Amino acid sequence: MFHRIIVEEWQRALSVLSITLFFAVFIIHSIRVRCMSRESIARLENLPLENDDQA
Amino acid sequence: MSNAPDSTDRCTKTRIEYDDTPVRQFMVASIVWGIIGMLVGVVIATQLGVWQANFGTSWLTFGRLRPLHTNAVIFAFVGNMMFAGIYYSTQRLVKARTASTLLSRIHFWGWQAIIVAAAITLPLGLTRGKEYAELIWPINIAVAVIWVVFAINFFWTLARRNEPSLYVAIWFYIATIITVAMLYIVNHLSIPTSWTHSYPIFGGVQDALVQWWYGHNAVAFFLTTPILGIMYYFLPKAADRPVYSYRLSIVHFWSLVFIYIWAGPHHLLNTSLPVWLQSLGMIFSLMLWAPSWGGMLNGLLTLRGAWHKLRTDPVLKFFAAAVTFYGMATFEGPLMSIRSVNALSHYSDWTIAHVHGGALGWNGFMAAGMFYWLAPRLWKRPLHSINSANMHFWLGTVGILIYMASMYVSGVMQGLMLGATRESGTVLAYPNFIEAVNSTKILMHIRALGGLMYLVGFIMLGWNLWKTARGAEAVNGSIEVYVTEKEPRMGLAAGVFSAPVVFTVLLLVFVTGWAALPNPVGGLSLWGLLATTLIMIYYLEVTKTPWSAWYERLLANALPFTALTTVAVFIGGLAQIVPTVMVNTAGSIEGVRQIPYTPLELAGRDVYIREGCYNCHSQQIRTLVGDVLRYGEYSKLGESIYDHPYQWGSKRTGPDLARQGGKYPNSWHYFHMRDPRQISPGSTMPLYPWLFSDKTDIAALPNKIAVQRKIGVPYGPMTELEIKQACEIQSNAIATDLKNAGAEVAPDREIVALIAYLQKLGKAEKVSPAGSTHTASK
Repeated sequence: MFHRIIVEEWQRALSVLSITLFFAVFIIHSIRVRCMSRESIARLENLPLENDDQA
Repeated sequence: MSNAPDSTDRCTKTRIEYDDTPVRQFMVASIVWGIIGMLVGVVIATQLGVWQANFGTSWLTFGRLRPLHTNAVIFAFVGNMMFAGIYYSTQRLVKARTASTLLSRIHFWGWQAIIVAAAITLPLGLTRGKEYAELIWPINIAVAVIWVVFAINFFWTLARRNEPSLYVAIWFYIATIITVAMLYIVNHLSIPTSWTHSYPIFGGVQDALVQWWYGHNAVAFFLTTPILGIMYYFLPKAADRPVYSYRLSIVHFWSLVFIYIWAGPHHLLNTSLPVWLQSLGMIFSLMLWAPSWGGMLNGLLTLRGAWHKLRTDPVLKFFAAAVTFYGMATFEGPLMSIRSVNALSHYSDWTIAHVHGGALGWNGFMAAGMFYWLAPRLWKRPLHSINSANMHFWLGTVGILIYMASMYVSGVMQGLMLGATRESGTVLAYPNFIEAVNSTKILMHIRALGGLMYLVGFIMLGWNLWKTARGAEAVNGSIEVYVTEKEPRMGLAAGVFSAPVVFTVLLLVFVTGWAALPNPVGGLSLWGLLATTLIMIYYLEVTKTPWSAWYERLLANALPFTALTTVAVFIGGLAQIVPTVMVNTAGSIEGVRQIPYTPLELAGRDVYIREGCYNCHSQQIRTLVGDVLRYGEYSKLGESIYDHPYQWGSKRTGPDLARQGGKYPNSWHYFHMRDPRQISPGSTMPLYPWLFSDKTDIAALPNKIAVQRKIGVPYGPMTELEIKQACEIQSNAIATDLKNAGAEVAPDREIVALIAYLQKLGKAEKVSPAGSTHTASK
């Protein structure tokens, strides 16, 4: 019933690029954070707590 | 900064006094504007059930007040709240006072002046006619300037920091500043026709895509990422424990920043937007489930071991509920991006329920929690009334639930009724649009009640904080820090043009080429992929430098970090917008081309935009059976290519108007605009008496047509006299026709121009591929 427009071959590349990009980012960062040292994580996660205002 | 230096060989101990004045100022402004914005929200909610609440006054109609409500809530309420949170947390996370007191003051007062200008111009009907981007061009420039002031102050503060690492909240702030600037500038590119009017350079489908690239990411980078940064700072503070998983927060940030920007087209599903873009928007919206829920769970689990505190601590109550609403909204958003679900939800009150879950639940409750936490610290006095804060929480929560429940019921009813067919899908089950309006009218009253309850809660917050601060001394926080000799910073080139980035980009390009492109490019990409992999392995063996060292340095260096974040958000925009700019070409207009408006029709269109008709009426017939049976053949790309701005709309409180032209006689429109209920009993549309007394602005047309010509609308050369004569001929013909039908009006009144425009809607010419070459080169 409905005819929609125009799919050009090169535009498919954008869909693949975007999905590849997402998984690359997701996987790279997942691996990266697993490799971070416990000390480094502990220091970073405590940043909001370590500098309470002093009167 | 007050210094009491205590030097050692390698570092100096010094006391820093934070500049908390802007925090207090932005907080107070957020509460004041929040109450005003919510009050306007209650008024327009009432107008949808009681048309008399439009008061018959031009500047109080729904079409003009709705943009005021959305702009006030987004930019005034959440904007000021965001700035308060960022100024407070950034100073403490980087252990440095805000770089420039002057810039902070310019930022605050400049932002308030912008809000005041918006509050004056929007009810006057001065608008660009694009949702959440209505402000006129001089205000747009002011917004850009003040945003740059904020950015300079923020990055300058980062440059002066005494804490080498950048906590994840700072990352979210960086992404916010960069992305909002990019989105705002691109979507507001316009050519002025006067000091108060302009036409956007994009038109039709291009404008639709750019608008929702902006609109969606305004939600992402104005209402979400800064608030997530605030969550990552204030939630651990309030719970007195670190975030549940800092590792998860890193994955949350990067995946959110990379994905969010791509999802805009989900606002245009089943429309004339090319299908590949619709699919892209849908897929990326579904992917958003992962980072959004990762962040939500990270926030909620930060409360591990502290859940008992929720019984007594209103701050944690607000934060826990806010994060829960964030989870609900970010589950629902991708769900609504599935095309078949969207067919039901779009253009209905379901969307209204969704956005209010986010705005009232996520943004509003995060704001409330943060303000209740901040006030005692900024004025060194305990909160005036814990009971009142708890009361506010329950009033607000019940208010949201009443609001959302009524809108869900209304939205599903609208979607089902307007799409329902019988006799094997050949006849509409509810052919009269007003049936859906009447069926949901009671729900408009319930929604107004829910909104009112939420508003009362926020007034209680204002009263509570006023009582806390009154008579108390405003206090700036301070801290003693060791100022160490700063390590040399990683430069922009070292951060961006580094081995990890170069190899990653090459691998991505080759993988994409291999997977998506035909031979020989696909085959060559495979070879490129193998070659890059081998070179990368060789490089790692030779240099013996782990990439983790580069990454660690990146996280402590704002400049290259910001550059890479910019690249991350830029890619998504680029990949969608560049191909779409090429969409209005000869082969893409689907054999139909819009006929440019006559001068009088153009004047009528500007009246339509001024009155904010797009807030209730769409101009886009979707590729859905219900739409086509009700409104006619589905909309084609070529039918709106000269519409600057596009007017596809996002909500159907009234019927679609894409093929309104010629459907009814001129007199029908005349009587309908004079008294909608005379034509359509039960209608909630306001009266428009001023259209019958105000004269059409013919004098502005030569300049407007000249600008239209500049942005690609194929107007032939016309002198001022010719424009005036063309208007006179067409308006006289309409006025004569009206008179014959018993509707007398002077031909120079705005109603005549508006009728001319409405009668043009849906009029297009058929073109053959050869004949459309002209359009391609316009």
